[in-house]
Amino acid sequence: MWWGEGKGEGGWDFIMMDRWLSLFSLAVLTSFLLFTPEMASAEEKVTIGTVEDVILLPWRVKLPARIDTGAAKSSLDARELKVHEDRVEFKLPKKYGGLQLRLPVIEWRHVRTPEGLERRPIVELEICLGSRQIRTLVNLADRSMVKYPLILGRNFLREDFVVDVKRRRTSKPNCPDLP
Amino acid sequence: MKIVSRQNPFQKRPVRLSVDLMLFLVLAILLLPSGKGIAGEKITIGEVEEVVLMPWGLRLPARIDTGAATSSLDSRELNVENNIAEFRLPKKFGNLQLHLPVVEWQSIRSADFAERRPVVEITLCMGSKLIRAQVTLNDRSRVRYPLIIGRNILKDNFVVDCTRSNCSPPKCPEVPSR
Repeated sequence: MWWGEGKGEGGWDFIMMDRWLSLFSLAVLTSFLLFTPEMASAEEKVTIGTVEDVILLPWRVKLPARIDTGAAKSSLDARELKVHEDRVEFKLPKKYGGLQLRLPVIEWRHVRTPEGLERRPIVELEICLGSRQIRTLVNLADRSMVKYPLILGRNFLREDFVVDVKRRRTSKPNCPDLP
Repeated sequence: MKIVSRQNPFQKRPVRLSVDLMLFLVLAILLLPSGKGIAGEKITIGEVEEVVLMPWGLRLPARIDTGAATSSLDSRELNVENNIAEFRLPKKFGNLQLHLPVVEWQSIRSADFAERRPVVEITLCMGSKLIRAQVTLNDRSRVRYPLIIGRNILKDNFVVDCTRSNCSPPKCPEVPSR
């Protein structure tokens, strides 16, 4: 056998190591070459799960969000909602700090809910999900009946996110603006 | 002298080459899953997809809904007797009359009402996959899509990309082409 004979030769160890190294690097290289298209597309689009922790900026409030491709627009749980002309004042749920927020209303929209049409104020929020920081529109509604204080709908998910239902809380918020 | 020259390079070379090739193949195969396995198995679908209800070959547009735990089908004139659900699909989508055994009842809690809906099993073709799945039956006449594909179906098969729609047309071998 060739490896048995080889021991007699000088520099056998060196040759073997060299061969293994070159083989390994060749295999790595070809596998990279074969799969670069997929890697590139995965880099552009961020895969997230059905529930993700996000951070509301600039207040740095952490909220769990339901990722919902069935919802056309995103929606935030707003308690004690008061309207002052073109501004709204509301509180986040106590469970998530109960922060009082005051934001300008971008527009009023009729939103289709399981109970029928509802007119809701829409505000703009800055949300950090994974490494991405996105300004997006959300409507405000009392969501005390449902589990998650924030629904991220299709208007948000079109910012190049892909949803994998098998995942949950897989992207920790780590935007450059966060400490 | 003759023997030595036969042992050295001429005999070794072909053997080494084949072993090298084998090692290379083994390594390449070992490294392959890290590149492809995760991305390759699941089919990417859009926010709306056409699916085929089997065995009737009925095409329905479906809303892909990661917010829904279970899937649901628009059923009109629903009537359950002896654990068999009898209903019609909407006129717009063939008006097909179906009789299917109820496999369980699902309690729906909503803001101001509680409801129990029958769950039946159906076979769907989505993309290249033929899927047997449970759907709840309810009147969805107020909403746009007769079928909601929820997490129970999406879980093992698909990832959802909301920048797209109808990107994975049904192409199971069992489905007749249009």
